[in-house]
Amino acid sequence: MKQMHNHRLLQIRNLKKYYPVTAGLFSRHIGDIKAVDGVTFHIVEKEILGLVGESGCGKSTLGKTIPRLEEPTSGEIWYKGADVTKLDKKRLRELRKEVQIIFQDPDASLDPRMTVGDSICEPLVIHDIGDDRERVETVAELMEQVGLEARQANLYPHEFSGGQKQRIGIARALAVNPRLIIADEPVSALDVSIQAQILNLMTDIQEKFGLAYLFIAHDLSVIKHMAHRVAVMYLGKIVELANKKEIFDNALHPYTEALLSAVPSLKSKAKDRILLRGDVPSPLNPPLGCRFHPRCHRVLPICSQEEPDLTEVSEGHLVACHLY
Amino acid sequence: MTERLKGITQKISRPLYSNARLINYYWQRTKRNKLAVFGLAFIIFLVLLAVVGPFFTLDPTLVNFEEKNLPPVGFAIEQSVYNIETDEFTTTKVSGTWKHPLGTDSKGRDMLAMLISGARVSLLVGLIATGIAIILGTIIGVLSAYLGGWADNALMRFTDVMMTFPFFLLLVLIVFIFGPSLAIIVLAIGLTGWTGTARLIRSEGLSLRTREFVTAAKAMGASDNRVVFRHLIPNVISLIIVIATLAIPGVILAEAALSFIGLGDPTVPSWGTILEAGQHSLNTAWWVAVEPGIMIFLTVLAFNFLGDGLRDAFDPKSNI
Amino acid sequence: MIMDNTILKVNNLKTYFFTRRGVVKAVDGVNFELRKGECLCLVGESGCGKTVTALSILGLIDSPPGRIVDGQISYNGLDLAQCSLKQLRQIRGSDISIVFQEAQSALNPVLTIGDQIVEQIRLHLPMEHSQARERAMTLLNEMGIPSVERVMSYYPHQLSGGMKQRALIAMSLSCDPKILIADEPTTAVDVTIKAQILNIFRELKAKRQMSLIFITHDLAVVAEIGDRAVIMYGGKDVETAPVSEIIGEPKHPYTSGLIECLPDLSKTTDRLASIPGTTPNPSEMPQGCAFHPRCPKAMAICSQQESTEIIISREHKVSCHLYR
Repeated sequence: MKQMHNHRLLQIRNLKKYYPVTAGLFSRHIGDIKAVDGVTFHIVEKEILGLVGESGCGKSTLGKTIPRLEEPTSGEIWYKGADVTKLDKKRLRELRKEVQIIFQDPDASLDPRMTVGDSICEPLVIHDIGDDRERVETVAELMEQVGLEARQANLYPHEFSGGQKQRIGIARALAVNPRLIIADEPVSALDVSIQAQILNLMTDIQEKFGLAYLFIAHDLSVIKHMAHRVAVMYLGKIVELANKKEIFDNALHPYTEALLSAVPSLKSKAKDRILLRGDVPSPLNPPLGCRFHPRCHRVLPICSQEEPDLTEVSEGHLVACHLY
Repeated sequence: MTERLKGITQKISRPLYSNARLINYYWQRTKRNKLAVFGLAFIIFLVLLAVVGPFFTLDPTLVNFEEKNLPPVGFAIEQSVYNIETDEFTTTKVSGTWKHPLGTDSKGRDMLAMLISGARVSLLVGLIATGIAIILGTIIGVLSAYLGGWADNALMRFTDVMMTFPFFLLLVLIVFIFGPSLAIIVLAIGLTGWTGTARLIRSEGLSLRTREFVTAAKAMGASDNRVVFRHLIPNVISLIIVIATLAIPGVILAEAALSFIGLGDPTVPSWGTILEAGQHSLNTAWWVAVEPGIMIFLTVLAFNFLGDGLRDAFDPKSNI
Repeated sequence: MIMDNTILKVNNLKTYFFTRRGVVKAVDGVNFELRKGECLCLVGESGCGKTVTALSILGLIDSPPGRIVDGQISYNGLDLAQCSLKQLRQIRGSDISIVFQEAQSALNPVLTIGDQIVEQIRLHLPMEHSQARERAMTLLNEMGIPSVERVMSYYPHQLSGGMKQRALIAMSLSCDPKILIADEPTTAVDVTIKAQILNIFRELKAKRQMSLIFITHDLAVVAEIGDRAVIMYGGKDVETAPVSEIIGEPKHPYTSGLIECLPDLSKTTDRLASIPGTTPNPSEMPQGCAFHPRCPKAMAICSQQESTEIIISREHKVSCHLYR
C-alpha cells in the first residue's frame, strides 16, 4: 500500500527510560533496569507502525513513555514539531487530546464504578468540550461507531464481555479526535474470533479517521495484518525496522529470523525452526556488546565486544547487526 | 435521533451512589445474608426507638424513690425494707408493673425510658465519632497513597506514632483533662480512632493507583485532583462503608467502657452509665445492669453482622 | 467403536455447576477417544468447556458446586467418573498427569523446585530421597534446563516464565505417566519459548510414546503438534478429525470460521474474516445448536434442535445439520 510522504507526526530520538535499582540498608543505587535504552524511530501521519518484541523488551514502557505517563530518563520526543519532554502541564494536557492510548486488559482499563457512557465521555469532560447535550450525542455516536448500541451507555463495565469492553476502550480513545493512538497489546487478552473483530474495527477506524497507530504486540501474525512498517525490539533496543514486506520476506536480523520461524503457522509442519538458546537475559544486566549475541545463531567474535548501531542498509530498512 | 438517545441521561457525569441500579445490585447481594438482614432490621428498629420512643415513654430523669428498684414485668422479687422505728426488716414481694415494663433503678427512674435515651446517645456517639474518624482516616489514607514518596512516609510514621498510644488510656487522659462531657468524649474517640482506617484506605489506594483505569485517566489528561476524587475515592467508598459499619460497635463499646469506669457524662443517661450504676445492685436489682448489657450486646452484634454482610456483598470475588 | 489402541475414552461427559444463579452446563455431552501415542488437541475459545473436561477426567472439579452428572470416562477398565477418590489419587500423577496453564500459580512459591518434584515422585514411586533427586535432575535436563543442580534449589520466583513451564512439565513427567494432559501450556509464554516448549512436547511423543491431550485455542499450534483435533463449542464437541483434514477441509461452520479469522503468517490478505457475536455464556446457552446465532449457514432447524453426530468418514465426525 503506497504511503504518501505525509509529514512526521512523531519522532523519537535516542529515548531512554531507566528504572533505578536500590539495595541495602541505605538504598544504595546499584544499577538500573534499562527498560528502554536508546530508541529512535518516527511515525508518519496515517501510518501504522508495529512494535513487536517479547516480554521484557520494553515495548510497553516505550508506549507509556511517549505521552509521558512515565518520565523519560533522557532522549527526545517530538510531536508535530514540539518537544514533548519539555512541555508544561497545560501543553501536556493538550497533547493528551491528540495522543491516546488503548490498553491491553479491557477489564482493568475501565473504572468499574462508572457507567461506560461516563467513561467514554470523560475525555470530553476533562478537556471541557461541548455541553451536556452535545456530549450525550457524541457518546452515542462513538458507541455506534464501535459496534455497540447507544442505549448501552448506562450499563457498567461488568455487564459487558471482554470484546465489548475493548470496543468501549476504543470509543473512549476516539472521543477527542486524536491523531495518534498508542495501542498496547489491544487484542492479546481476547479470544481468536473476537480478536479478528477488534482488529477489523481498528483498521476501519484508522481508515475512516486518518489515524496513526503505534501498534504494540508480541504476536507477529497480528502485526502482519495491521502494520505498514514494523520495528522489532529486543532488551530495550530496536534491532530491526523496515516496512512490512521487507520484514516478513527479507528479515535481516537473526532475532527477527528466529521470531518469524518460531511462530506456529497453519501451513507449517515440523520445519527446521531456529531454536534460540537460553532465555531472555535480565534488563538489569544486559550482555556486553550486542545484546543478542549469547543466543545468536549467527554470532561473530565482534558481537561480544561492540554494540552495533541501527543503520540503514537499504531504503527504509534499518538493522542493528554486525553482519551488515 | 432522539429515539436512540432515549435512556441516556442528560447529565452524563453522575457518580455511582446516586445510580439506583447499582445500589439495587448490591442490595440484592446483601439481602441473601440472613444475619446481615437481621442486623439491619435491628439497627432500623433501634433508630426508630431512639427517635420516636421518647414521645411515648416516661421521663428518664424523673426520680421517684417510692418506686425504686422495681423489677421488670413478669418478675417478682423479694425486697427487704428496714424499718427504723420497729428495728425490723419487713420483706415484701414486689412485682413488676406495666407502668415500668422494664423496671426501675435505685432512684426510681424508669428503665425503658433510660434505655431509649441511652440508645440515642449510643447511636449519636457511634455515628458522629465514627464519622470523624473515618473522614480523617480516609483523607490521610488517600493522600498518602496518591502522593507517595516522602509525604506517604511522613503521614504513615505519624500514623504509627498515633497507633502506639494505647487507645483507651488516651481516651481516659483526654476526658480526665477536659472533663467528662459527651462532646469531649465524641471528639476524643474521633480524633484517636482514625489510624486503622488510614492504613486500610492507604493500602487499597495503593493497589488502585496502579490499576489501568487510573493510568487511562491520566492518559486522557486528568488532573491529580480529578483522579483522586472521581476515580480513587468512588472505588474505596465500599471499603469505607464496611469499615464504618464495623467501627461503630467499637465506638459504642468505648463510650460504654468510659462510662463504666466513671468517666462518662453523668448528666446524660447512656447505656454505660446505667451499667455503671447497676453494678452495685446486682444482688438486689440485677436488671439494672443486665438490660443495658443486653442492649449493647445486641447492637454490637447487629452492626457486626451488617458489616460482614456488606463486605461480602461488595467483594466481587465472593460468589453470592 | 473402540479401537484396539484406545487408551482413554470419554463418552457423553456432562459436568454441571450448580450455583445460586442457576445451573452452568460447562460440559454438556463431550465424546472423544485418545489413542496410544497420539496427540489429541481439544480446541476451542474461552467458555467452551475444554478445561473443565480435562479437570473432569482427573476428578479435580470442585465438588460443590460442580459435579459430573452423566457420562463415562473409560481408562484401563475403570470408569473415572465413578471410581473412588482413592483410586483417582493413585491414577493422578502416575498414570494420567496434568500440566496447568499458569506455571506461576501451579507451583508452590515457598518450596524449591527440587522439593516439589521430589515430593511428586515419592508420592507414587517407592524411592529413596536421593534416588528421587537423581530422577528429578535427569528430567530437568531432558527439558533443556541449564545448570540443573542450581535450579533444583531455586524457588519458583527465581525462574523465568519459560523455565517455570518446563519445570512444571518435568514435574508432571516424573512418574512416567501414560497420558499427559496439557492445558494451554503455550498460551502465556513468549513466542520463542513457545517454540521450545512445543519442541519438548514433540520429543516427548516421539521418545516416550506418550499419549497427549493438548488443550489450546490456537489452531496454528494444533497444526504444529496435533495428530487429531476435537473442536469444542458451548460445552460440546462439534467436529473431530485428523488435523490435516480439520485445517484443509473443515466441515463445521465454526471450524471454518476459526480458520478464517486466524491472523496467520501464511495469509496474504489484510482484512480478516471474523465470526460475529460473542462466545456464549455457559449459563445462558441458546436453544438448539449453540452456534446458530453466529453461524453464517444457519437454517431454521438449527434454532430448534441440536444436531446429532454425523459420520463423514472413518476418522471425521461432525455435529451439524448441514450434513444430514
